[in-house]
Amino acid sequence: MDLKEIKQILRLMEENGLAEFELERDGLRIALRKAGPAPMTVPVALPQAPVPVAPAETPAPAADTGEATHQDTSAYINSPMVGTFYVAPSPDAPSFVDVGQTVGKDDVVCILEAMKVMNEIKAEVEGEIAEVLAENGEPVEYGQPLFRVKIA
Amino acid sequence: MFERVLIANRGEIAVRIIRACKELGVQTIAVYSKADQHAMHVQLADEAICIGNSASAESYLHVPSIIKAAEIFDVEAIHPGYGFLAEDAHFAEICESCRVKFIGPQPEVIRRMGDKAEALRAAKGAGVPVIPGSDGVVADKTEALKVVEQIKYPVMIKAAAGGGGRGMRVAHTDVALSNALATAQAEAEAAFGNPAVYIEKYLENPRHVEVQVVADAKGNAVHLGERDCSVQRRHQKLIEEAPSPAVTPSIRRAMTKMALKLVQEVGYVNAGTIEFLLDKDSNFYFIEMNTRIQVEHTVTEMIYGVDLIKEQIRIAAGEKLSLDQRSLVVRGHAIECRVNAEDPVNGFKPTPGTIRFCSLPAGPNVRVDAHIYSGYSVPPHYDSLLAKLCTWGHDRDEAIRTMRRALDEFYVEGVATTIPFHKHVMHHPKFIGATFGNHFADEVVRDQGWS
Repeated sequence: MDLKEIKQILRLMEENGLAEFELERDGLRIALRKAGPAPMTVPVALPQAPVPVAPAETPAPAADTGEATHQDTSAYINSPMVGTFYVAPSPDAPSFVDVGQTVGKDDVVCILEAMKVMNEIKAEVEGEIAEVLAENGEPVEYGQPLFRVKIA
Repeated sequence: MFERVLIANRGEIAVRIIRACKELGVQTIAVYSKADQHAMHVQLADEAICIGNSASAESYLHVPSIIKAAEIFDVEAIHPGYGFLAEDAHFAEICESCRVKFIGPQPEVIRRMGDKAEALRAAKGAGVPVIPGSDGVVADKTEALKVVEQIKYPVMIKAAAGGGGRGMRVAHTDVALSNALATAQAEAEAAFGNPAVYIEKYLENPRHVEVQVVADAKGNAVHLGERDCSVQRRHQKLIEEAPSPAVTPSIRRAMTKMALKLVQEVGYVNAGTIEFLLDKDSNFYFIEMNTRIQVEHTVTEMIYGVDLIKEQIRIAAGEKLSLDQRSLVVRGHAIECRVNAEDPVNGFKPTPGTIRFCSLPAGPNVRVDAHIYSGYSVPPHYDSLLAKLCTWGHDRDEAIRTMRRALDEFYVEGVATTIPFHKHVMHHPKFIGATFGNHFADEVVRDQGWS
């Protein structure tokens, strides 16, 4: 990243009223922070070198939060059905996956229960479990994000 | 009364049910598919949950997802609306076993009346006149010819598991009979997964007249007169009215008496409709029973001043019928025009898309049951009904005038609609004189030079 690019970012921040900006890419991480009271923070997606992404699911129609989203390196495992979300095959068994664990496409990541049928849900993406987004034992709707996966 | 009801449907009927629930103080839970994220019923319900992908089979027809949604919100009852799972006896049974009340008749009654041949048997058993025809399913041409000998041409071959005008073929000769039999069987297999067909006498240009009934679980039943649904195209209703201009007081007395006999015969509970064909000699024949609330329940509500959806919910909640036959008195006349996202100028081709802007008619004696709004995108996956425009008048003439006025106010930009068709009908001498028959819609299309 050269000075020209940094100046471009600064201008973008100014134009959009941003107080903070963070970018992580190709082993580079840059954070720019404006002095003074912070106005609203808005995630900004910059064009970047294409990152190999396995059939990445876009985040479900959930509201965008004010924090910087991880659109550049993350994929989401969204619920393929309405059901009750379980992280483990049974109450006393260990979870199918943990944060930090690498998963392959065919690895079972959770169970979704509906009408007493326990459906094993596969990852369908390859990567590292970064976040568990649904609560164990709670109902989830179709399309609801269950896991955030850092694409390898 | 229930505390929470789940509406297992979408579009205008889901909105209708939510409205009734709200007025009864019942909490509403909407289910929706991915395509219906921005649908009106989702906005109006107290709670909403996305249950599947856009295809009906993965959402509105997907029983496990609907039952799961019912469980998540701990609902006491499910209203199935019309279409989708409304006449699915298996779904009604599952609701029962999950201790969720299915707002409609009992599963066995749904199953029995859903089988067209079985329904005919029930009608005959109740002494209700039926169209002369085969006694049950006809397997092949030999059997068919024997039936024809009895009842004479022309005949109609119909799917036993069918409805909605599909799996039906007419034959006037022995040669045509073979073809008609094979085609009807194939169509029935494709549409309903069951190739069984039966044969009936074909009536030329009959009127389609149906009787609304409602019964509670305590043995009380009433009829709410008849509706005339004779403006149809390819067996899809476009315009309905109540009362029927072709029904005299004596026909009405006989028809409604027969309808109640059938209700008693099968032990029917909740709202239902008994369909008849009325021939030019004023004979009427039972053709089928719809064990659900119908699209056109609106015109009946308007002439009797009742709320049939609320009645359905009350009956399901175990209450006594709030309607009493003696106090059900017809007042005036009502007409309904179905405004679909279809282009009448181009063979009624469905035209999904975004309604950039719309303005709905209003004013005295105008009722609009709709789910559309400016900016709404009509999805391509479901039926094309956008709105039901209903008008009331002291007499049929006034109802027609009000409909003309309301159609002129109805503005939709972005998708084609059937409004131009309805406008022509409301000015057509045959409609005004109530002298039209079953092929009227096709005549209008032809006269206009549409394809």
